[in-house]
Amino acid sequence: MTLTTPNADVRETFELTEAPDIGAREVEPAALVQLPTARPAPHPGRRRSRFRGSQRLLGVVALVAAWELASAVGVLHPQELAAPTAVLSTGAHLVANGTLESALWASLQRVFWGLVIGVPAGAALALASGLSRTGENLIDGNVQMLRFVPIIGLESLFVLWLGVGQTAKVAMITLGVVFPIYINTYAAIRTIDPAFHELATVIGLTRWGRVRRVVLPAALPGFLVGLRLAVAVAWLLLVFAEQINASSGLGYLIVEAQTYFQSNVIVVCLACYAVLGLLTDVLVRRMESVCLRWQPGR
Amino acid sequence: MTSTLRAAPAPTVTADVAVAVRGLTRSFGARAVLNGLDLEVRRREFVALLGRSGSGKSTILRALAGLDPSAQGSILVPARRSVVYQEPRLLPWAKVLPNVTLGIEGQDADERGRTALREVGLEGHENDWPKTLSGGEAQRVSLARALVRQPELLLLDEPFGALDALTRIRMHALVVRLCQRHHPAVLLVTHDVDEAILLADRVLVLKEGRLSLDRPVDVASPRLRSDPAFNELRSLLLHELGVHEPTGPTGPTGPPS
Repeated sequence: MTLTTPNADVRETFELTEAPDIGAREVEPAALVQLPTARPAPHPGRRRSRFRGSQRLLGVVALVAAWELASAVGVLHPQELAAPTAVLSTGAHLVANGTLESALWASLQRVFWGLVIGVPAGAALALASGLSRTGENLIDGNVQMLRFVPIIGLESLFVLWLGVGQTAKVAMITLGVVFPIYINTYAAIRTIDPAFHELATVIGLTRWGRVRRVVLPAALPGFLVGLRLAVAVAWLLLVFAEQINASSGLGYLIVEAQTYFQSNVIVVCLACYAVLGLLTDVLVRRMESVCLRWQPGR
Repeated sequence: MTSTLRAAPAPTVTADVAVAVRGLTRSFGARAVLNGLDLEVRRREFVALLGRSGSGKSTILRALAGLDPSAQGSILVPARRSVVYQEPRLLPWAKVLPNVTLGIEGQDADERGRTALREVGLEGHENDWPKTLSGGEAQRVSLARALVRQPELLLLDEPFGALDALTRIRMHALVVRLCQRHHPAVLLVTHDVDEAILLADRVLVLKEGRLSLDRPVDVASPRLRSDPAFNELRSLLLHELGVHEPTGPTGPTGPPS
């Protein structure tokens, strides 16, 4: 079919291929459907979240109750897994005689130093690699290769080099922290929208101005993702390092308790690890919500 | 003050000239997008550059902005240049005022930024995050960022392209007002023929790597689409751009042959 518009000024004609006619079929009008909408309520959001919260709490309570019941009727032997009430009284006892406090302190110090050294190191490497080609050539290949070496496997080397003291444990945590920080920060720097770099050029930002106003803020979200991973890795490596050869810390308490079949002490220590891990994660999330207020959707 | 971007035999340029481009050639692979293009823009002149998509409009603009080291030829432009893009390109992690004053040194930077924001009608938005701005507001911030540098050459890369029709009309008026106050030389890259006629002193059409048409806009101010001169120029430009528009029932203003 050749279609020509009635207008003489249009000199172009359009060749249209014959298509089967689908437009003319009569359709019976169907009944309308009712879409779900919100009913007016005084505090709909709060009520729902409270209901949800209490339901989640109920799940936890049910699990602990089942655990207590299983211990009470003798399904769970105290040497395999102590009852929740026994764990609580053990915890109180360990706090009272100061054992838990000194173990916690030793563990916290290792994680603290591991993060304090590892996070800046990872960030510095990422910046050196992300800001200069030379840095990238020298650093990135090495990091990408080394990150496949299992860090736990390096424990033996660390002991050979640094002995069984505090330094070896901190060194392992430090190394474990460097990789997630480096990889996420470096990726964030490399994926900065080229439009922003172009803007910096047109505006005539100095090199330092570009780093401060464009590169660092753009890398921050990636860095914080790395930090959350790094904190998780730090606790994981701590547990491992303390259970191999330590004379203090939560992991040492666990190993000792294992020798004397004190499952209640083991559970207390595991609960401490969990709470500490949770607290540090909450801390990093809080940092994210403060530092990344500018992000859409926050 | 004029800086040369390329080492080339300096062409004779009068003091009245803001942009002097000679023999600009730019190839992407085997395809020469710009092929020995000459272009001159006088100081305070508002020039609109039209062209079909892919004709190399933005390539010229990038070269004039100093962003294309691979372009060949001679380019003379003022040292103080600003670019406004189709998208506002605000740094999302900086509030409005630091976005405007980005890269500006000195103690009066904030004050200058506030003045620029007042000029684009965004007083009181200094501490807003870019994510809270509408498209038109963000583009006005981008305009303030360009003007606060007191550019002698303002490069506009389809700055109204992403705006809705109503906002676009208001932005046109704002740009005209600001250019009358600051009088930089302006090169507006657009594919909108009406926009070019409404805003520019002179219109250019880019075709096959060169300027195929260079015409002053002799339409009385205020420029109205109902003006026959407007329509005549419009038809001429559309024809040059390869669009054969149908004539309306009110009267033929067909392309001259």
